[in-house]
Parts: sequence; C-alpha cells; structure tokens
Amino acid sequence: MPEVIEHIRTGGLLIVPEIILLVGVCVLFFIGPMLVSDAGEARPGLRNGWGLFALVTLAVAGAAWWHAGLEPVERGLFQADALLWYIRGLSLIGGALLVLVLWTQIDDAHSAEAYACLLAIIAGTSLVAAANDLVSLFLALELVSIPTYVILYLGRRDRIGGEATLKYFLLSIFSSALVLYGMSWVYGVSGSTNFGAIRLALDGAPHAGEGMLEIAFALLVAGLCFRIAAVPFHFYAPDVFQGTTASNAAVLSLIPKMVGFVALMRVIPLSGAASGGTQWVPELDAKELLAAIAVVTMFVGNLMALRQKHLFRLMAYSSIAHAGYMLIGLAVGDVLPVGGRQAILFYLATYGLMTIGVFALLIAGGGADRALATDDDVRGLSRSQPLIALMLAICLFSLTGLPPTAGFLGKLNLFFAAWSDDTHIGHGLAMCLAINAAISAYYYLRLVALMFLEPATRPDSPRVPVAWAPWLAGVACAVATIALFVTPQWLWDSIH
Amino acid sequence: MPENVQHIVMWLIPLAPLAAAIVTALLGPGGMREKSHLPCWFGLAVAVVCAYVLLWSIVPAGFAEGGSAAVVAPGYQWLDIGGMNIKLDLRADAMTAIMLSMVTLVSLLVSVFAAGYMHGDPGYPRFFACFSFFVFSMCMLVLSSSFLELFIFWEGVGLCSYLLVGFWYQKPSAAAAAKKAFVVNRIGDFGFLTGIFLVWTTFHSMDFSAVLGHPEQIAQIAADQPGRITTICLLLLLGAMGKSAQFPLHVWLPDAMEGPTPVSALIHAATMVTAGVYMIARCTPLFVHSQTAQIVVSCVGGVTALIAALIALTQNDLKRVLAYSTVSQLGYMFMALGAAAAGGDAVTLGVTAGMFHLYTHAFFKALLFLAAGSVMHSMGDVIDMRRFSGLRRALPITHWTFLCGAVALAGVPLLSGFWSKDAIFASLYTAAHVPGLETYFWLVFLSAVVTAFLTAFYTFRAYFLTFWGEERFPEEAGHHPHDAPPVMALPLRILAIFALFIGGVAALSGWFGGYLNHAIGLAAVEEEGFSAGLVTVSVAVVVAGIGLAWIMYVVAPKLPARVATAFGPLYQASLNKFYFDEIFWGIIVAPLRALAWLSSWFDRSVIDSIVDGLALVPRLFSSVPLIFQNGRLPSYAMVMWIGLLVCLAFAMRLFAN
Repeated sequence: MPEVIEHIRTGGLLIVPEIILLVGVCVLFFIGPMLVSDAGEARPGLRNGWGLFALVTLAVAGAAWWHAGLEPVERGLFQADALLWYIRGLSLIGGALLVLVLWTQIDDAHSAEAYACLLAIIAGTSLVAAANDLVSLFLALELVSIPTYVILYLGRRDRIGGEATLKYFLLSIFSSALVLYGMSWVYGVSGSTNFGAIRLALDGAPHAGEGMLEIAFALLVAGLCFRIAAVPFHFYAPDVFQGTTASNAAVLSLIPKMVGFVALMRVIPLSGAASGGTQWVPELDAKELLAAIAVVTMFVGNLMALRQKHLFRLMAYSSIAHAGYMLIGLAVGDVLPVGGRQAILFYLATYGLMTIGVFALLIAGGGADRALATDDDVRGLSRSQPLIALMLAICLFSLTGLPPTAGFLGKLNLFFAAWSDDTHIGHGLAMCLAINAAISAYYYLRLVALMFLEPATRPDSPRVPVAWAPWLAGVACAVATIALFVTPQWLWDSIH
Repeated sequence: MPENVQHIVMWLIPLAPLAAAIVTALLGPGGMREKSHLPCWFGLAVAVVCAYVLLWSIVPAGFAEGGSAAVVAPGYQWLDIGGMNIKLDLRADAMTAIMLSMVTLVSLLVSVFAAGYMHGDPGYPRFFACFSFFVFSMCMLVLSSSFLELFIFWEGVGLCSYLLVGFWYQKPSAAAAAKKAFVVNRIGDFGFLTGIFLVWTTFHSMDFSAVLGHPEQIAQIAADQPGRITTICLLLLLGAMGKSAQFPLHVWLPDAMEGPTPVSALIHAATMVTAGVYMIARCTPLFVHSQTAQIVVSCVGGVTALIAALIALTQNDLKRVLAYSTVSQLGYMFMALGAAAAGGDAVTLGVTAGMFHLYTHAFFKALLFLAAGSVMHSMGDVIDMRRFSGLRRALPITHWTFLCGAVALAGVPLLSGFWSKDAIFASLYTAAHVPGLETYFWLVFLSAVVTAFLTAFYTFRAYFLTFWGEERFPEEAGHHPHDAPPVMALPLRILAIFALFIGGVAALSGWFGGYLNHAIGLAAVEEEGFSAGLVTVSVAVVVAGIGLAWIMYVVAPKLPARVATAFGPLYQASLNKFYFDEIFWGIIVAPLRALAWLSSWFDRSVIDSIVDGLALVPRLFSSVPLIFQNGRLPSYAMVMWIGLLVCLAFAMRLFAN
C-alpha cells in the first residue's frame, strides 16, 4: 500500500497545474448552482464574474506550469517531458482564449457549469500529454470528452442543438470504445499498461504478438482519428459545428484535434521506438495507412469546403482539411532535418490561433446575441466593421498559409518535413499539401473578397455594439498570427 | 572606429530613408502637405553621410587583411530550422560601398529636384513616401547579405517602381505602363527565383559569403557538375535581364517614362535598372566558371545596345530617346561583364569596366533626365521634340546642364562617358583576342563601336532639336516659359559637375579600379595603359556622330526628312521600335489572350462542370455516405465502422501485394 501512495504522491506533483484547474472546476460546480434560483434565474452579469474566475484559475495554473521543471519518469501514471511542457502551455493559452470566446455565448444561469466544463476540458487536454500509462491516457481522453457533451448541450438547448449534442455524444462513445479496445490489445501483447514497461516488453521480444500489435494499432488510429476529424471518421463535424454555438465550434475545432494528435504521438511510437522514442519513424505499413488517411482527409475536407455557404460548416471542413495536413507530420515521423512531430506541434499552435481567431471575430462582429454565420452576414463587413474585417482577413490568410502569417510557416514546416522524408510517399505528401493549400485558397479568399469587395447585404442595419471579450480574443489571435511570423524562432525552439 | 558604431552607421543607410517614408506616409496627408519633402531630404542626407563614412572609412579598414574583406552588420535572425538559417544582415564590401555612394547621392539630388518639379501635385506626400521607401529598398538590395534578402528587396524596388510609374494612375497610359513593367519583370523574376532555388540546392546556403566566398568549392562543383553552374548563371541572367531591361525584356522601360520625370531619372536610369548589372557583378565568382553564360551575357548586351540605339535614332519624345539610351547603355555594361570570359586579369578588368560605366552613367543619365524634366516643366508637360525648338535662350540653365550630360553620354574625350566606354572597349578588345572567343567578341566589339557612333548621333540629335533652331514654344507653355527655379537648378548644376568630371577623376587616379578590386571574386590587377588605336577609334566615332547630327539638324534641317523618305521602311521600323511591342503582342500577348479566353471558356464550361462534378464526386462518393450524411446517426456510425475495417485491412497488409 505505501508504494501506491508514494506513486500517487509523485504522480500528483507532476500534474499540479491540472489539479489547480480541477479545484477551480469543483468550485464552479459547487458554488455555481447556489447563485441560481430554483426557477433558473440568475443575477444579470453573473457570467462576467465566473469568466473572470476561470481566467484567474488559468493564470494560477499557468504560474504553476511556468515554475514546474521537467522530470523524466520511467514508471508511474504521469510523466513530465518536453511534450507535456509544450502542450500544457498551449492548452492553457488556448483555454484563456476560449474563455474569452465563451464570454457572451452563454447565459448567466448556466455560466458556472459552462466554465467548469471548459476548465475540465483544458485540464484533460494537458493530462493527455502527461499520461504515461494507457489507463491515465484513457481517463484523460474521457476528461476531455464528457465535459464536451455537457458544454455542447449548455450552449444551445433547442432541438437542433440537442441533435448535434446527441450525435457527438454517441459517435464519441463509439470512438472511445475503439480506443479502449485497441488499448486492451496492447495490454494483451505486452502485459502492461505502463508506457515504459510496454516499450521494454516490445523491444525485448521484437516478434512478440506479431499481427496483434497491428490490430491494436489500427484500432487506436481509427478511434483517435475521430478526435482529429479525419476522413472517414469526420461525418459528425459539419453537423455538430453547424448545430452548436460559435464558441463550442471553436472548442471543437482545436481541443479534440490537439488531444487526438498528442495521443497518437504517444501511442503509435510505442511499438516502433527501439531507441527510446527520440528518433521515431513509422514502419512502412503504418506510414502507408497514415499517408492514405492524410491525403483523403485533405482532399475531402477542401473539396467539400468549396461549396459551403454556412461559415461554421465551412470551418468544420477546414478543420478536417487541417487534420489532413497535420497527419503528414505523423506519416513521415522524426525525419531530419525538420521532424514531422515538431512540425505538427508548431502547426497546432498556429492552427489554434487562427481557428479561435476566426470564431472569436465571427462572434465579435455579430454583436451580443448571434455570431456571423453565413455569407450574407460577412458581405461588406469591411464597411461596417473595418477592424474586425481586417483581423478576420489576417486569420483567413493564415488558414490559407500565405505570408506574412504564422500559417505560412506552419505549412512550410510540414512541407519541409514531408520533403525531408526522401521517399515517394514523402514527396507525394508534400505535393498534395501544396495542391490542397491552393484549393483552400479559393474558399478562404472568397470570404475575404466578400468582406472587402462587395457591398453589404443590409447597408443601413444598425451598428451592433461589439462584444469586447471575443473581440479581444480575436484581435489577440490575429496580432499573434502576424507576430509569430516575425519571430517564429522561440516557438520552434520551445518544441525541442 | 568601434565595431558597433560601424554597424549603426551601416544600418542608418537604409533605415533613415525608411523612417522618412514612414513619417511621410503617416503625417504627410494630414499635417505636412507641401512640406512632405523635408523628412525625405533629411533621411537621404543622413544616408549620404553614412554611405560616405562607409566608403572612406569602414570598408577600407578591412582592405589591409587582404582578400574580400566584407563588413557584416548583424540584424535579425528570422528562422533557423533544419539547416535553413534565414537572417536579415547587412553586408558591405567594396562593391556595396561604391554602389551606395552613388545611389544615396543621386537620390538626394533627385529628391531636391523633385521638390520643385512635383510642387503643387495633389499626390505630393505620396510621392515622397514612395520615393523614400524606394531608396530604403535600393539600399537594402545593395547591402543584402544573401540571395534571399537580395530577392526580397529586388521585389521591393519593383513594387516602388510600380507605384511610381503608376503615380498618375488616373491616366490610363500610366496605369498600363505600370502594369506592363510589373508583368515583364515577373518573367525575369521567375528565372531569378529558380536560380536562387538552384543555388540553395547546390550550395545548401543562400549567404553570399558561403556561396561566393569559397572559390575552391565552386570550382569543385563546376568540375563535378559542369551544367549546374551554367544553368544557375543563365537563370540569374534572366532575372537581371528583366530588371535591367535587356533584350527582349526591354519593352517595359520606355513605357515606364509615364511616371514623373524625377522617378525616371532615379529609378529608371540611375539606380534600380542597374540592379541587374550589380547582381551579375556580385555573382562574378559563379560566372567565371561558365564561359557559356558569360558569352551569353555579352551577346545579350551587344544586341540590346545596338537595337536600343537604333530605336533611339528616330524617337520624337525626348524622354523616350533617353529611355532607349538607358537600355543601350545598360547593354554596354552587360557587354563588359561578359568580357570577363577571357579569364585571368580580364575578369577583374571586365567587371570593373562594367561597374565603372554603371557609376558614371548614373550621374550623366540622371542629369539628362532631370534636364528633360526641366524642359517639360517649362513647356507645360509637352515633351514631343517636334513641338518646340531653340530653347537655348529661353532656358539657359537647362540648356547648359543638358549639354554637359550629352557630351558625357556621347563619350567626348576626357569627360566621364569617354573613360568608362574606353574601359569597356579595352576589355572587349582583349576578349576578342582570346582563342575560341574571337567570333563572339569581335561581333560584340563591333556592335559596341557602332553603338558608340549611334549614341553620339542620337544624343546630339535630341540636343539640337530641342535647343537649336528657331525658337518655338507649344501653346501649353504660355507666353514666357521660365527656366528651372533654384531648387531645380541646384541639383542640375551639381550633377553637371559630376557628369563631366567623375569619370576622369576616378579613372586617372586609379581610385575606382583599385577600390573595387577588393570586392568578392575580383583581384588586384595591373591597369592596362591606353591603347592609342582604341582611343582613336572611339574619338573618331564620337566626332562623326556629333558632326553628322550637326549637319542634319542644324546646317541642313531639310536633310532628315529626305533621309527618312529614302530609308522609308528602315525609318518606320526604328520609329516603331522595330515593332517589338507588336511582335510580343503577336507571339505572346495575343496567344495568351486566346489562351486566357480559352481558359475562361474552359473554366466556365468544363471546370465549372468539373467543380459541379466534384461536388458530385463527394456526392457520388458520398452517394454511399449521402445515405448517411443527412444527419442520420446510424449511418455515421456505419461509415466509421467501414473506416475501421479499412484500417484493419491496411494493418494486416491486405493491400500490400
């Protein structure tokens, strides 16, 4: 028994920022309902208070993150390596932006629960990176999923919202089942759930479980591909994005993607990393599978996006296409001189900025009650809201991958990574990336043209007051997108 | 001088004009209006002072160490991933310093002139903002430490040229000229960019010091892959041909005269168009390994010089005569650069001759353009030489300064153009005596001599037509045309002095060659003495050219019409610029238009149906999922299940053979 307690104590020390977040979650869940009357009425402006509370919690967790050191751990539930440090920082910063985006998208009575769910999702995201065991990995994945169901429901409680929530809920459970099943095959082959032990067992007996490992691998990839919204596990995305609020769409576009890629980066190399995981390159089968998914995902996402008129649906397909781009990094592995996994991590940061930026600005431009959601809403936006239109254009340029934005560097890194893998697959992936970036330019730049070149649909509609919190998040994202282009080196260095 | 002070001085050269550009852009339209030239003057003055400190003190300090000592002022490290290290540094060696001393000084003088010339224009602040930004880009171009940086600012000066050619964008001809310049330059840039890629794949670096600074490495590569260096050089040459308006990409430069005249003087005569020459001179260490490329450089220069001079003979627009003369003189510089093919000392002599001509040409051509601008200013923007004549009494300052420029350009002995042209003759003559190269270089040499004759003739034709004969003014000029006001006269006078004497001073003291020797890829060489034969030829053609112009346009003014009739088709061909625009129209533009029309048709009927079809493809392809994608949950789960099966099949190698 004392050994278990010791394990929990050392493990707990590794995840102090997440524990802080979860304490915040508890406070929100316990105190939140007390401030709401039985009829479901709350004091107007309560959401501002809870929003501020969420930001403070994130700031405290951020301070803990900044002061925590790296501790390589072989055994135990959690590990604190460079990947955790990076993902934790990314999820805390992304979390702060998402709190700002959520600010006006939730009513006062449900604000405490919504912020609690968001904080839990953030904690889960960085726990995925901290996991050093299949069990803790699965728990962390569920810590992201379950609050997501709730937050989807809280955001929009009409019939369409309910349908979207239900769809996400059921399919997500299905994918979780696949992941769990895959994990059980890994356990069956290696006899352990600990990453270190699994690695040791598989390295010690290279031919153990021949065939079984591949099945485990396929199950894990299929299950996690749901999270990153890769084809053919993407069908939920357009429906759910369209059926929920802009803030929830922002959460869905970034968080599951981050979680999915981090989990894939943790589990796929388990079998192939003879040298301890520092220089991991997927085996040929795995490479072919990942490359195939990447190519199909890119093309389906971009081609379907071409025809969309609803902006959230368009962003859903854009998010699918971006999953395809990032899968390239996983398909080529840690090639030299530009590694695929580093390229993914860099891309996640830039993608987070641009996708959160787009949703934040759509909310900010729409005013208090609804976000800009259709072509007609953004037509002529440069006349009525010049600053928001400009910032939105920067984010869209970045999504396209044009200089001078961070999105350009993100795509450049992935391109170099694919090209560095000096095989037909690598070169083919690099070319597909270039072709798809060109296709995507059409629908992103079409929006820019709508905003800047066309007259407004309703030229004399009254000027809506700008919602300051999403506005702040959107401007921060757009400015950071440019700033990251000017000084990219620190981010690249912090990945290593 | 302490190192950090050196670096600050170097950074001030581009940054002072940049600051001026920003200040003018921000404050100009609001508060400064008619005072918008002040930040520009100040910024350029700072740049001039710093450029001369660089020229006299900072760069020569490195000469003692021998070799190609270059001063590098570190700037900003942008990106360092996977062996690709992109920095924004400044690098100055002898060639940079010489270029900068010319660029900044001419810019300052032209900006002073422009304050008078542009006075009262509604776009006054915009003009000076673009002007300062141009000087910034040009200084950065010259100070670049890598091919990538060079390319960025190469495009930067191109952008400024576009903005300034189209300065009066309300005029359709100006807008069209700006567009033409931009598009023609894209052809060259395509070559340049491809060349840079090839440099990167060959040398794994884009830094000048890494690529050009190791002759033995280049020699090794040239020995291993003989075609590689030639390809790189030819691609770089294509870039230079676009920017420096060499045949057949010269068509944009004469049209660029739609811009304000100070712009023509600075950008389209003295500085930007010489960037191509500078780039090839800079890449001498590469070019020496490809005799083929050097011969091509020389031949391109020879053809351009001759054709442009022939066209200049018959133009009626004074600025166009000067524009074709610029194209022709740039051709001279290319000839000289190519003459480095002779190898050995000829490399240094050829490159030095080309750069020397660039240097002297900048002063006298800027002077000629500004004087032409002064003519335009007093003639109410009329520039057609058929509509005025005998201006020498009405515009004495303009007349004298134009004459100074004209004699320098024509190559009258002991004046600037004479010295640099003589150096070019000498290097071509040397190359023509190298076995294996005789054929090419004799032809090029011949073209150079003929062009010298034509140059003297058309320059003085323009001079006599404008300033001699009976006094006539166009009605736009009003009754009493006034000569240049002091703010325009001062730069004219200063430039006139430079135009007359800079060549002689620099050549006779041996300063220019001795200084430039220290640039990368060049070596100290024995200056060749003057060859009496060459000098005689050169003097003879100049005297003949000027004499013929005197006879035709002053003594017997009826003669030109008769000559034109006698050589009808030839005259028409020259007047119509050898129909290059029409030929390009026929062989490039029209087919492209047809192609565009075809593409548009193709786009509307085929692509649109394909896109519609593509929407069908996902729809077809999702006619499997379309059963699902209408929001029905079981179908989504079904497709995921199928996806899982495919993944499993992959993992179990069912697809692997």
